[in-house]
Amino acid sequence: MNRNFTLVEKCYSHFTNQFSGYKIIENGITSSVPLDEANTDYQAIQEWIAAGNTVIDNPPE
Amino acid sequence: MALSKVDLANQVENQLPQNLVANNLPFRNIIINGDMSIAQRGTSTASITSSGYYTVDRFGTAISSLGTWTNSQSTDVPTGQGFASSFKLDCTTADASPAASDNLRVFTKFEGQNLQYLKKGTASAVSLTASFWVKSTKTGTFILELQDVDNARTISKSYTVDVTNTWEKKTITYEGDTTGAYDNDNNGSLQLNFWLGAGTDFTSGTLNTTWNANTNANRAVGQVNLADDTANEWYITGVQLEAGTTASDFEFLPYDVNLQRCERYYYKTYPQGTSPGTPGWDGSFIMVAHANQSYVSNTVEFPVEMRTKPTITSYSGDTGTSGKWYSNSTPGDVNVTGDTTFIGRKRANKYVDGVNINAGKYVGGHMTANAEL
Repeated sequence: MNRNFTLVEKCYSHFTNQFSGYKIIENGITSSVPLDEANTDYQAIQEWIAAGNTVIDNPPE
Repeated sequence: MALSKVDLANQVENQLPQNLVANNLPFRNIIINGDMSIAQRGTSTASITSSGYYTVDRFGTAISSLGTWTNSQSTDVPTGQGFASSFKLDCTTADASPAASDNLRVFTKFEGQNLQYLKKGTASAVSLTASFWVKSTKTGTFILELQDVDNARTISKSYTVDVTNTWEKKTITYEGDTTGAYDNDNNGSLQLNFWLGAGTDFTSGTLNTTWNANTNANRAVGQVNLADDTANEWYITGVQLEAGTTASDFEFLPYDVNLQRCERYYYKTYPQGTSPGTPGWDGSFIMVAHANQSYVSNTVEFPVEMRTKPTITSYSGDTGTSGKWYSNSTPGDVNVTGDTTFIGRKRANKYVDGVNINAGKYVGGHMTANAEL
């Protein structure tokens, strides 16, 4: 589907520092997307990335 | 259960419990919220140009560059049929000349694990019958399509809106498909598409009236363009999809049952009738700091197990801003972390981190959980 992401950013766990999900902004709404292949927002993010869009990634040091 | 399973020949009709009367089998409607009574996301969204779920639960709008729309839960319903709500699309910016790839559809989707009794992909595949009420200012040919997502197969049937701005009931039967079984899982396997406009990529062939491998050019042949005038409006309600070749009466469910079925796909802490993002504390949660601390968290239990791990959106109870909760320690909104480590199908835990919260002060807000197909 035609989605309207204006930001996709990787999120990292406070406890393990592991990559744990995505922060997205779509139509001005900020949400958190889990790493679950059955989640349709997760699926849309993968399509958005495959289309050449860039995910912000600032891993913890 | 298919209608054919009821052995009425060996039953005494007046001794049957009400729920076993052939025309009243429980949960025969594959569609959830077909009476459009649940609208957790809100009752009206304007300026729609991209795909998503906007108002009525379980019914989404797919748009690719074809007009601008307001979607609402309307009280305009067919007289005397028992419905109180309908799904409405109102064109606010027209596009009378769609490009080849442009399209507009209203859709609802179904999990494969709920469709196994249709025996799709076998010699015993069951037919499906769709019935619905429609009202449209635009008359002419419209397409209603079944789309097998697992096997990339489709079937399209046309119906005609005969009279402008008048409620009409339509019934369409699709034969069973002996090719391609639905996956037995919680992903979307079948999609019902109400086409409302399409460019030549979808209209240049011959309408695909039997199940076939998907060919875009055959999906919406003859479809009128609902986007060609800002005067255009389109309504539906009483949408039912059931096994068999005849349409039964619409299956009305109690409000609470309908809501719980919708909450498998979308849940909010806000009261029903309050749109997410509305400032207010009714139904919200707060987390009280028992000492001066920089980390507080909260767990929200979902009323039913969700279809999959949901997307979580947090809202400040004070301002309604997404991605925020409100803190009265240094009064104002604070960021909710994007970490999703503790999001599950039965509950979700979210937290704020790196914000000083003094003892006895709180952080709080609302949450939505989205596991839509």
